[in-house]
Amino acid sequence: MKDVSLKWVLICLLCFLPLAMYLHLMSGQIEISFASYFDSFFHFDSHNTNQVLVREFRLPRLFMAMIAGAGLSLSGMFMQTLFKNPLAGPYVLGINSGATLLIALSLLTGVQFFQSNFGLIGTALIGAFAAGLFMMVIAQRLKSQITLLLVGLMFGSFTSAFVSILESLAGAESLKSFTMWSMGSLQQVEFSQLGIILVVFTLGILGSFLLVKPLNMLVIGEKSAAMLGLPIKSVRMLVLLLTALFAGLVTAFCGPIAFVGIAIPNLTRILFQTTNHRYLIMGNCLIGAIFLLLTDAFIQVLEGHLSIPLNALTSIIGAPFVVFLLMRKLR
Amino acid sequence: MIHLTKLIIGHQSELLRLENTLLSSGNVYALIGRNGIGKSTFIQTVSGIQKALGGEILIESQSISELTPREMAETVSMVDTRFEGVEYLKVKDYLALGRAPFTDAFGRLTKKDWQTVEDVASDLGITHLLEKFTDQISDGERQLCSVGRAFVQETPVILLDEPTAFLDYINRKLLLELLVRLAREKNKCIVLSTHDLDLCLDQSIPFLLAANGEINLHTTLTKEAILLAMS
Repeated sequence: MKDVSLKWVLICLLCFLPLAMYLHLMSGQIEISFASYFDSFFHFDSHNTNQVLVREFRLPRLFMAMIAGAGLSLSGMFMQTLFKNPLAGPYVLGINSGATLLIALSLLTGVQFFQSNFGLIGTALIGAFAAGLFMMVIAQRLKSQITLLLVGLMFGSFTSAFVSILESLAGAESLKSFTMWSMGSLQQVEFSQLGIILVVFTLGILGSFLLVKPLNMLVIGEKSAAMLGLPIKSVRMLVLLLTALFAGLVTAFCGPIAFVGIAIPNLTRILFQTTNHRYLIMGNCLIGAIFLLLTDAFIQVLEGHLSIPLNALTSIIGAPFVVFLLMRKLR
Repeated sequence: MIHLTKLIIGHQSELLRLENTLLSSGNVYALIGRNGIGKSTFIQTVSGIQKALGGEILIESQSISELTPREMAETVSMVDTRFEGVEYLKVKDYLALGRAPFTDAFGRLTKKDWQTVEDVASDLGITHLLEKFTDQISDGERQLCSVGRAFVQETPVILLDEPTAFLDYINRKLLLELLVRLAREKNKCIVLSTHDLDLCLDQSIPFLLAANGEINLHTTLTKEAILLAMS
């Protein structure tokens, strides 16, 4: 009983990824030769404008598109499995809001502790995790999936009110940097930061694969999973931690990016037609990465004429898709 | 085999108590009683989800309070009132989840595990459903799959919480007959809570009668006696 067709879907996606990466690299406003890409790695010359462009802009943006796409999709997948709700996601359930609130606190008040690279990830992670924990507690008191989503939206409004208050109190300079951040962009990461981001991301992926069995068991509900010997409480914490890790990481460096976390896991499930998380993890990574590469490539193409915030474009694509899901499942 | 001694069950306050009761392997026991009397609580207490207020539960002469979650999963399996089905979860994968207590950390299934799944499926007559999605089969078929998962778990004790509640008459009858046959063939101790008095009497299975704050074991009972006790 092997799942041959699933492997083919994976292989197709794997072939499509380099193509999407290529499109993303080529969609920038300035044409850069392959040689420059090669040289920027192996014979880096800081006086060569193209090479600097590659190092400081193209590559960080390329990697962030992939990491943000994969990370948000994974964090959405975790939440959908954990809450047994296809409409859960870091955005609707207030995980982003939690991260945003703490980031706003740090960017707008300029607390020293939050300033380093680690600090930014840490801040977002704590915010995301706290919000996740809060939603978890609420979820256990609710029976209706819709009610949970409404609580998530209320939580989002609640935190954004605090963010507005912080904005009104902030100085012009910090307000500008926060507003830029909140539009969502893949352009804010520097080459030197890529290392730490990649390390955290890789650890998250490894952690995800260790949770394949618990996640597959959670699909039939917490009670049934517990009767199969799953230590529910610790699994719940681990899954929530990974959700916060991915959502926090992406939110810290790219700002809030809406709808990827809710749309891509559903798209992956529809495409793979399985609940086996071994495939869903890989599928979400690939589809999420490809989706954000293509979306960002589109933004880059238009950049000469108008600059669309990433968050706006993912919402334009994502919101109708979620409505489609609603019509399909909840009617 | 389940051995219950001076068991007191309930959430905060006492709901039901049992004196020394022995439930042997190879039998199906029908737990009957009115709504809200504590049948579900009894099932959950024996399955280890709910703590007993007093007394002891021995399964295969081991106290369940001393078992780890994994050992518990190798001892008792449970079938819920209703399995709603999960989108894109195939019947074969659902059944295979019953092997979870026995598989490695990644949940990889061996040939033997798949063999167990296929054997159980053929015992229950659901082989033709294996490749279907659990949300695209009928309520009756789905309930059979739930029972199948419990059998795949290969536990000596199987508990079912009103497994026939959402089934039509024919499916109720078939499910009960199947349980009686499999309990005998596989030497399982099966307890199910139910309201299907007639069907249980037809099968002449022993009753666990919950009434007036007590559960008592009756090997034979007339319908009139049961109705009187439960009034």
